[in-house]
Amino acid sequence: MATAPHVRLTLPNRPENVLVVRQALSGLAARLGLDAIETNDLNTAVTEACNNVAMHAYEGEEGPLEVDVDVLDGALAVLVRDQGVGIETHRRVGGASSEHRTAGGGMGLAVIDALAEHAEFLEPAGGGTEVRMEFPAPDDSVLPPVHADGDGPDAGTAADGSSAIALSVAAGALAQAVLPRVLSALAVRAHFTTDRISDVQLVADVLAANAGDSLGASRLAVGVSIAPRVLDLRFGPFQAGRGASMIAAAADGLAPVIERLTDSARVAPAGSGATETLELRLVDRH
Amino acid sequence: MISVAPTPSTLRAAPTRGDAAPELFASWQRDRDASAREALVRHYMPLARGLARRYGRSSEPFEDLLQVASLGLLKALDRYDAERGHPFASFAVPTILGEMRRYFRDSGWAVHVPRGAQERALKVRDAQERLANAEGRAPTVGQLAEYLEYDVEDVIDALQAIQAYETLSLDAPRPRADGEVVAYGDTVGKNDERYELVELDATLTAVLGHIPARERAILRMRFVDDLTQTEIAERIGISQMQVSRLLRRSLEQLRTLAHAG
Repeated sequence: MATAPHVRLTLPNRPENVLVVRQALSGLAARLGLDAIETNDLNTAVTEACNNVAMHAYEGEEGPLEVDVDVLDGALAVLVRDQGVGIETHRRVGGASSEHRTAGGGMGLAVIDALAEHAEFLEPAGGGTEVRMEFPAPDDSVLPPVHADGDGPDAGTAADGSSAIALSVAAGALAQAVLPRVLSALAVRAHFTTDRISDVQLVADVLAANAGDSLGASRLAVGVSIAPRVLDLRFGPFQAGRGASMIAAAADGLAPVIERLTDSARVAPAGSGATETLELRLVDRH
Repeated sequence: MISVAPTPSTLRAAPTRGDAAPELFASWQRDRDASAREALVRHYMPLARGLARRYGRSSEPFEDLLQVASLGLLKALDRYDAERGHPFASFAVPTILGEMRRYFRDSGWAVHVPRGAQERALKVRDAQERLANAEGRAPTVGQLAEYLEYDVEDVIDALQAIQAYETLSLDAPRPRADGEVVAYGDTVGKNDERYELVELDATLTAVLGHIPARERAILRMRFVDDLTQTEIAERIGISQMQVSRLLRRSLEQLRTLAHAG
């Protein structure tokens, strides 16, 4: 059966989004019990791979930056992927920026090579580039494989398939470690005050802690849209009828947690009615 | 050169700028010519500087890191074997990074909150309060970054640290804006009865009994009275960051208790 990465993050290749990737990794590293130096190695190497995509992959245009993380037996595997211009193409086509991907990227690749236990640079047949890195992880951190659920590639990228920023993460402890970090970093991007960023964290905590039992899949998919002072979040795929219970977050006892912290919360049918998407909007009215 | 092939290939370092003349390496390594070494250091200092900036961001002061990176560069200059035909950078990058890692490891950086990060967390906390008091609402991370002349990400990390590390004595009582020192337990104690969560159902009331009075009061103010975290912070004389931390922790406790029950 096909498996899916434990964490997948898809973002536009803007430099400011690299920060979001780093926040996700820091949450993951803390969960896996990596020490500060291991976390720093991981963050530095992945940052180099992402910066390379941010600066050179699409030649000034915008395109997707995709980061997959898998927690394997004693290893943390990270894949940074783009669908842009590969190094070889850069070299062939020439032009003003042709040196960058090779020369400018060279230092970054040397850093990756020095910090990762194992690193590979690939140009898949379909185009784009992939940097695969492996880092040591504590042996007991191995997570069960996540099945692709047969719900198609879109479930892995966004709850409704339309979002430019998407996170999908194995339900459970990993979601609890990664989701609050990613969403608060995105709240920062939406110019939220520290007060409201904390609310976003609380919402992320509640969802990550309670989603597991209600999901119609083994991964929680989150789609995010950002506007100034507005954060739109879509979570799914919940089993039909379970979205509303997420809003009530009955397990918390405090029924109004999500209702109180969001400006709107509604449930929309998805996947031809078999599942539901929870749509939350948080506004900062400062 | 980076080897690019349809099959997996191991990464190779490509120098960011041209290598220095091989004669310089020979003059230094064979003849101990100090001026050759100086020229080499000058030539490769941007490499060391770049690595110091990339590695260990948000941790130690940059000057300290640069010093360690420079030491790594000197070691690399001593050990590099030009005869092998690899560019110097491909040898120097891992050597310099290794030196920085060893420095962090030896200084206990891996287990302690680094000094730089600790100072920043305290500064962010203080600035957050100052700006909140001045404006009557919490600042954005961008405003904090501008005010403190930090990177946005440094502020995010500091906010994270404030939540994570209680050992920073962030809970110690501090003077309020009016100069009066308030012990937090006291301020909450008076209002305790008013904040009993009578409306909530029986299971929850039982569970809430395990939560300290101050946290119960904060839960009540946020979720029943719909006060913002900043308003709660003002009422009980703690910082909004602390309200955030306490809310997060008590919701987590409630979840655990509810699942256990």
